[in-house]
Formats: sequence, structure tokens, C-alpha cells
Amino acid sequence: MAEKWIYWLKEVGQEDNNVVGKKCANLGELTKAGFHVPPGFALGVEAYSRFMKETEATDLLLKFLDTFHADPNNVADTLKYEEASNAMRALVESVKMPPDMEKTIKEYYAEMCRIAGCENIYVATRSAGPMSHPGQYETYLNVSGADDVAFNVVRVWSSTFNTRSVIARARLNLPLHYDPIGVAVLTMVDAKAAGVMFTVNPVNGDESKVAIEGSFGYGEAVVSGNVTPDRYLVDKITLEIDEKVISDKGSEFIYNPGTKEMEYIDLPPDQRKRQCLEDKEVLELTRLAKKIEAHFGCPQDVEWSISGSLPFPESIFLVQARPESVWGKKKKESVLGKKSGMELLFERATTPIKLKI
Amino acid sequence: MADVKKFPYASEVVLPPELEGWEEMYPPQRLFSKDREAWENKHFWYQDKIHAPEPMYPLDDIFQEAWQISLSQFTTRVFCIPPAQGVAQRMLGCYMYITAVEPPPPEVIAEKAEHFQKRVFYVFENYDALWDKWLEKFQALGREMESLKIPKEFDKYVPDSEIFPAPRGYTQAYEIIEAFNTIISQIFKAWQYHFEYLNLAYLGYLMFVDTARKLFPGIKESTIGKMVAGAEVSMFRPEEELCRLSRLAAGQPPVAEILKKSIPADKKIEELKSIDAGRVWLEELERIKNPWFFVSCGSGWYHFEGSWTNKMDVPFSYMQSYVERLEKGERIERSLTAISEERDRIVSEYKALIKTDDDRKSFEDAYKVVRTIYRYAEDHLFWVEHWLHTIWFEKIREFGGLLVKNNVLKKTDDIFLFNRFEVPMLLEDLATAWALGEGAPTRGKFWMEKAAKRKKILDAAREWMAAPGLGVPPEEVSEPFTVMLWGVTTDKVAEWLKGSETASKDVSEIKGFASSAGVAEGPARVLKLLEDVVKLEAGEIMVSPCTNPSWAPVFTKIKAAVTDIGGLTSHAAIVSREYGLPSVTGTGIATSVIKTGDIIKVDGSTGIVTIVKRA
Repeated sequence: MAEKWIYWLKEVGQEDNNVVGKKCANLGELTKAGFHVPPGFALGVEAYSRFMKETEATDLLLKFLDTFHADPNNVADTLKYEEASNAMRALVESVKMPPDMEKTIKEYYAEMCRIAGCENIYVATRSAGPMSHPGQYETYLNVSGADDVAFNVVRVWSSTFNTRSVIARARLNLPLHYDPIGVAVLTMVDAKAAGVMFTVNPVNGDESKVAIEGSFGYGEAVVSGNVTPDRYLVDKITLEIDEKVISDKGSEFIYNPGTKEMEYIDLPPDQRKRQCLEDKEVLELTRLAKKIEAHFGCPQDVEWSISGSLPFPESIFLVQARPESVWGKKKKESVLGKKSGMELLFERATTPIKLKI
Repeated sequence: MADVKKFPYASEVVLPPELEGWEEMYPPQRLFSKDREAWENKHFWYQDKIHAPEPMYPLDDIFQEAWQISLSQFTTRVFCIPPAQGVAQRMLGCYMYITAVEPPPPEVIAEKAEHFQKRVFYVFENYDALWDKWLEKFQALGREMESLKIPKEFDKYVPDSEIFPAPRGYTQAYEIIEAFNTIISQIFKAWQYHFEYLNLAYLGYLMFVDTARKLFPGIKESTIGKMVAGAEVSMFRPEEELCRLSRLAAGQPPVAEILKKSIPADKKIEELKSIDAGRVWLEELERIKNPWFFVSCGSGWYHFEGSWTNKMDVPFSYMQSYVERLEKGERIERSLTAISEERDRIVSEYKALIKTDDDRKSFEDAYKVVRTIYRYAEDHLFWVEHWLHTIWFEKIREFGGLLVKNNVLKKTDDIFLFNRFEVPMLLEDLATAWALGEGAPTRGKFWMEKAAKRKKILDAAREWMAAPGLGVPPEEVSEPFTVMLWGVTTDKVAEWLKGSETASKDVSEIKGFASSAGVAEGPARVLKLLEDVVKLEAGEIMVSPCTNPSWAPVFTKIKAAVTDIGGLTSHAAIVSREYGLPSVTGTGIATSVIKTGDIIKVDGSTGIVTIVKRA
């Protein structure tokens, strides 16, 4: 029997990292745990393998690579890689998907539309590598219609041949023609605001805080660093907002129905310095952050999105959760040096407090 | 601009001409002086707005004198906090400046460290039993002061009872001199006791702040305050008694009806006496009045603030609103269980975040240490500043009354215009005139003129914006009160330096502690004294020097609170959080910058108060 290659999110969990890629596995885990995640499905790495093998893509790529020679450590060769990448991507995107795969993907999409009660719903097709390569592969937003969904899944696959991925594999002496990843097909959230949060203060490792960064529109604006987001620091235990920095956010990343593209649009002057989240949204995000951290058992880096059309709190969606990469890995060392209360008291009594005038 | 890192030295301060003659109100050892100038200029002095926010009445200054000795000795000679020395005071232009004395030589620090370990560790291990002993001796002292006999009037002739069967040998002339000497000794002794465990309570708190900050660098002082606060401490008892009396009244409709009338408290008491249920209720009030109505309407530091027991309109107005709220089915008590449950939740959730077992153990132990003793900070406050000060002020007024009756002074409270070394002169003057026989004059006219002049000086001082600091700020501080109580921190000194450059009328924004989150905008009501609460209208923003538990009922009426004094664990901050009102505390200058009727905006999340529109 052929191996399963497509899953509803709720069918996968953390343990399926290698089957569907990290992002899908984590989103599945969040969905199963009852968190509010945009509905969707995942294509496993098996789908990538089948596509590459059952079409002639692999053969064509190998043939093309026969005549390709470049040194990944030589900056001057970057252009050669770029040309090769363009050729390889064009090649992958031009082959026809096996009909049963295309049919199944379209059926899953149709089911999503049926559940949502709306035709041709907008989805995001997101890459999900088994290893974490933030920003290496590509994601396509606001995809609508069965044909487009199938095509954009292929585009995500082909993004494993984008220049930076090819160079990265060349440097590691990995095969250039093959790098299986998963793909998440998720309902788009019509984000009025979105961003990232850490379940630890990234500045000093204080685990009693949740640090939230957000801006108007879609979260890519914050993740990519293209806008200066609003910042909130919230205490997990008292649920008080300790710090609130409202920035001049300049523009928002939104869908332009005219061009059918995602675009940065300048915010009107009176909007730029407005708080992008209401306090109750900040606090609800904090509660969610605590639950997510408790579920995964270590500090998390979470992407969230707030729908402009749904009522609070159903408006809040989680679109990504992964272990926080800096403080989460720090060795747990004692900071109080095994001192007793009396020893700490003596230390306080004998240590003057410095003033910086 | 001058060097911004320095305040003027005391000798460089120019006083307004109306203050001329201010020095003679205070004993010479309390003034800045040429002969000690080198030592004085080595220290950084700051105005003590906590204990002396108002120009100092000479007799009210006695508490300050007393704490200078007591606070300092417990640090230097009793519990021996190694690098810390005492807190010295100086008067300047009727305001009090204080400084943490520079650290002692290294060998003294080493000697003190030995004593500290032996003595302080003992106190922490035995605190509960030591507290019981403290309370017992303190209450005994208060009762002694209460029972002090001060003649109401001089007898024309000594009564027979003092002659037969054997003459007593001394008269009221001696009695009055002795009584004043005794009450001075008693107040000094009370203030000796005041600091018995306070330095250690503050030190314990600072230790816990350090410990918590090492584990959670961003933990807020207000959160630490919640962790260490005791719900069942003496300072909250008066408020609890008010709630209990209100409930009793609400259960007896005729009593409730009288309490709800818009008539003065003494009229209400008269009406209550006329009905059975009223008499029973009054008996209950009488039973708890001493000590629980011996609570100051202010901080307890000034004679003019008054106490519930002699300003019964204050507790009766609270009870009136409590009875009305009870009839509407509202809850009036603070839920002590809710407060302690919340405290325990916060502590255990923070503890759960600690990453190593060793640290968790240290944290638990540090918490145990601070919890052992921290309640002293709120327990002693009721017994000393409220209960005993109420007794003191009442007794001093008895001396004042006697002086007025005999034309030595015009008004009873004028006695507070003379310092504790001068009052004996007035009393001796009176005793002498009585002894000399009929027609012998006192120097009443002289004393009255002096009193009138001093009143004018104090009024002028009230209008004067005294400099917040004098001299060069230090690089480090080890004296626990300087940090904990007066909040001398890098930011605070910087704020003072900034503030000393602008005149108050130009200020449109002031900064304090962000002590209770939320934003509110509305008309300000500046309440310098608690008795002004009758003017307060619902929806106003209260601006006051500070608050204490006797102000609690005010918080149900206001939109937000701003104070001059007090940190994140101050009464105003705690109660504001309980009622969910925005509050900014410890602004230093709110009551002098803001005027009643100004529209102000209070941001309890950032600690900023903006004057939106001047009245």
C-alpha cells in the first residue's frame, strides 16, 4: 500500500516532524491540544518525494546538474547559482503533477471550503522543512481556487531550489536535486494585526514575562523586520502589562485585490502611531502564550494573527509555535549560589547599592 | 547652566525674607552650622517629604528628633548593619533635610559584621515571640501616657485632702513641670521602641527584592509588594472595625436611619442615645474606640491632622456610606482570604518558574525570612504613629488648654508653636505666677506675640518651594531606609535635579510610580487634610500628600488617585489596585503643582500625570 502523504492538521503531532515537517507538526500539535489554529491540511515529505519521482522532475534535474559546476564558497559564483536556481525552479514548476495527487489535494481544499461554508476560500501555502530553516523556503499567501492551490503547492516545493537553499546544500555537500519538505495549506486569517511573541523576555531571559511584538496587517511585516512593531512586555503571573512601546509603524503588509498581490501600503498618518492591539488582546495572547509553553514544556516563539472580521476572542489565531532558540537552550544554572535566607540577608546588609548620577 | 550633578549647599540657599527668624523655632543642634560645615558639605541632604512634607511646627518636631536618634542607633550600635550608619537631620527654612551618614572605617565594618550575624539571626529566628513582648511593653507605655495626670486648672488653695493627715509636700506647680518632663520621656521611649525591628524589616524586604530580581530581572516592585504584604496587620484593623460597626447598624434599622442622616456626628450620637438599639450600638463603639479609633486622619506626624476619636465626623461619614452600600446589597469589606490567596498564587507561580532546585530552595528561604518580619512595618505603624500619637496630641492639648485658661496663650494648639525645650518655660512662667500669689503677671503677651509671628513664618514657608536636595549626590547607598522608605535611587535623584530647575506653574507633566494600571481623566480635588473629604465629589481625581487606611472609604468615590509620597507598596497604591483605579504615587510635588479643578490625566501604567487644562 502506498504511504500516506496528505493529512488534516489534527491528524499530526510533534512526533511527526520528519513526516510532515516541523511547522505542520507543530500546527497539528497545537490543533490537537485545542488551540485556535487556522484550519488546514498538511502535505508530508512523502508528497514531495512522490511528486519528484513520479514526474520526470528528478531525472530532468539530475541531467541539468550534470553540466553544472560552481563553488559555493566563492562569492563570484553566486550568479551561476542564481541562474541554475531559475532553471531548476522553472523545470519543477513546468512538470505536471500526478493526477491522483492533484485530485486529492483539490478534494482536501474542497472540504476546507465546505467546512468554512464559502467557495474558493483564501489559503496560505507554507513550507515546512523537517529541520528548522527559518526564512529559507517560501510561503505564498492569499491563494484561492483549487487550481491555484495545487500550483502553489508546487511553487513551495520548487522553493527548495531557490538560490539560498541550493548554495546552502552545496556548502554542506548535500545532493542539490532533492530536499524533501512538507507543505501546510492553511486558511488565511484576514489579519488586522499580527506578529510574534516569546514566552520569555528575549532581552534578559526572564521567564516570568511574555514579550509581544505586533503591527497592523499580516505578520510577515514583523517577521521580516520591514516595520518597527509595537512592543508589549506582560507579566505571566500578574497579567499586568509592564511595558508598552507604541512605534511609528509606517506601513502594513496587506492583500491588494486589484493586483492580487501582497503589498506594503503606507498607513495614514493618524494610524501609524496607534496601538495595533487592544489591551484585552494583549492579555489574551499572554494567556495563550502561557498555555502553549506549558504544553510544550519549554520557552516558545509563537506567531499569531488577529482576524479583523471575527469577534474577540475567536479572532485570535496561532500560526506557528517553535522552541525559543536562545534562552531555551541555556544551561540551567543556579543564580543564587545555594545561599540560605540568612546568608542572602547578610549579603544584602554588606553590599552598598550603587547610584548612577 | 550650572553643574547639573550638584544641588546647592545649605549655605548657598537663599530664603524668602518672610522667613526671617525661622531659626529660633528649632534647637541649635538641628540647624546647619558653620562649625560643622565641612562634614555637612560632604553629605548629600534631601528634603524628607515623607515625615516632614509641611513646614515643621516646633513641637511636632519632637518625633523627628526622636527618630534621628532611634533609627540611627539600631543601625550603628544595636543590630550593627555593617557598612551603614545613621540618618542625620537638619532644619532649613522650616523644612527638614536628611542624609545617610557616610560609611564607617573598614575595621568598624568588620566588627559590626560579627555583631550583626549574632544578633540579627537571633531576631529572625525568634521574631514571633519577640513581637508579643514588643506589643506588651508598648501598650503598657501607652497606658502610662494615658494615665498621666495634668491639672485642668490651678486650685486657688491646695485642697485639704493634700494636707491631712500629712501634707503631700508638693503642689500643682510641681505636678505640671513633672508631667511635661514625663511625657517627653515617654514619647522618646516610644520612638526608641518604634525602630526595634523596623530597620531589619526593611533590610529583609530589600534582600527579598534582590533575590527576586536575580531570578526574574523584570519583576515589578508592586508584585514583590503583593508577595510580602500581610493582610491581617494592625494597620487595617480600624477599617475592619468600621465595617463591623456598619454591619451591626445595618441590622438595626432605627440605628441605620440615624447614621444615614445628614447631621454632624455629635448630633447622631445624641439621637442614638435616645433609643435602646442606639445605646447598645454606642456601647459597642465605646468598647473598640480605644485603640481602634485612635487612628490619625493623616500620617500621624502633625497635630493639626486630628484622629477619628476627636474628629468623629470622619468615621461617621464612612459608616454612613457603608450602611448605604450594605442596604444596596454591596460588599464593603476587603476580602482577606482573597488577598492572601492571591498572594500565595503569585508566590507559587513565580516559584514554579525557577529553573534549578537550589535556587528554588534559596528563594523559599528568602521568602520565609521576609515574611517573618515584614509585617512589623505595618503593625508598628498603627501602634506608634496612630495610637500613641493620638494619646500624645490629646495630652499636649491638656497643657495647651491650661495655658490658654491662664492667658499665657491664645489658642490651645498654639502650644505646638513652641519646641519641647521652650514649653517648659511657658509652664514655669505659669506655675511661678500662680505661686507668687494674686496679681503677679506672666509673660503671656510676649508668648502670644511670638506665637503669632511663628504662625506667619510657617505660612510663608508653606508658599516657598524648598530645594529637594542639597550638596553632591553620592555614588552608593547602604542605609536601608534611604533606599526603601525615601526611595533614593538613581532615577529619583535625576528627577529632583530636573525638577529643581523649573517653577511649579510651568509644570504640565509630573512623574511618579506607576502603581495601579489604567488611565483616567477628570477634575482634580486636592486634599491636603482628610477632613476635606467632605468636599470630594464622585468622579473626581484625588490628589493628596499621602493616604493611610483611615482614607480607605474615599476610594469608592474617586476615579483615580495621585499622591506626593509613597511607593508601590504604599496604602494608596494597594487600595487603588484593589478597587481597580489608576494611581500614580510618590510624585513628590502633585499637591503643590496641581490645583483643585484642574483637569488632569492619570496614567497608572506609565506613572505620568498630565495637567490637561488649568482651572
